[in-house]
Amino acid sequence: MGGNTFIIQMNEVIMMAHVFFGVACLVSTVWVFVEALNASEANQARIRRASRAAAVFMWLAFVVAGYFYVLFYKTDKAIILKGPWPFAHNFFMETKEHLVIMLLMLATYLPIAAAGNLWVNQGARRVVLWVAGIIILLALTMEGEGGIIAMGVKVGLLAK
Amino acid sequence: MSMNPENNGVSKYTISFGLSLALASVVNGLLVVAKEKSPAIQSGMQKLTGHHWITHSVIILGIFALFGWLFAQGNAGQGIKMTSSRLIKLFLSGVAMGGLIIVGFYLVGD
Repeated sequence: MGGNTFIIQMNEVIMMAHVFFGVACLVSTVWVFVEALNASEANQARIRRASRAAAVFMWLAFVVAGYFYVLFYKTDKAIILKGPWPFAHNFFMETKEHLVIMLLMLATYLPIAAAGNLWVNQGARRVVLWVAGIIILLALTMEGEGGIIAMGVKVGLLAK
Repeated sequence: MSMNPENNGVSKYTISFGLSLALASVVNGLLVVAKEKSPAIQSGMQKLTGHHWITHSVIILGIFALFGWLFAQGNAGQGIKMTSSRLIKLFLSGVAMGGLIIVGFYLVGD
């Protein structure tokens, strides 16, 4: 196996892991949202576990993406900028790499907010619902932006 | 989790880290503008960790952790008192402002 082949395969594994952890964070947060809508003594432990899972998955997605971005993205960036979709980097990647820091903070905040007794405290329950709601919206935005960036690389390669 | 009756059952850490989230989100947006507009700032951030984005992430996450802890120490260790409605308005405003600064900058300012 040649060095270049290994790097390409590593890139693919890293990107698939990034998407997997991102989607896992999204699914865990939807779970928290639905459970919090029906908060009771019976599901409080599940809410806490799912909120912690969302945070862990988001940190994994962030670290994996950061590793790819710092070490490998410059090749993709050059392809995108020379291709027909330069906005895939100039707007979508630039906003994604900074909005994702807010998503990471929100996902880290979710288990803190979910630590209270949501079935007793309506205020705490509303905080969790709002935080989970923003995470869901931002995570879907990140998924969409990631798709456009990948398309930017694809159309850049096709145009060669 | 310590509660205060004035907080509508919301813990002091929910309030402190919610406020810190709002603050760090706005700083996140402002730091994007600062580093994109000032090559000196971007270069300095690059030198600190080897990549401006790593430095950016460390600064923002550091602010989130530090102020989350600091806001919880106020009021003789009971943390800042606030209703859940006000907390929600504040962190929604902070996240929206931070997001709009970033999106707005790359749409029209860059």
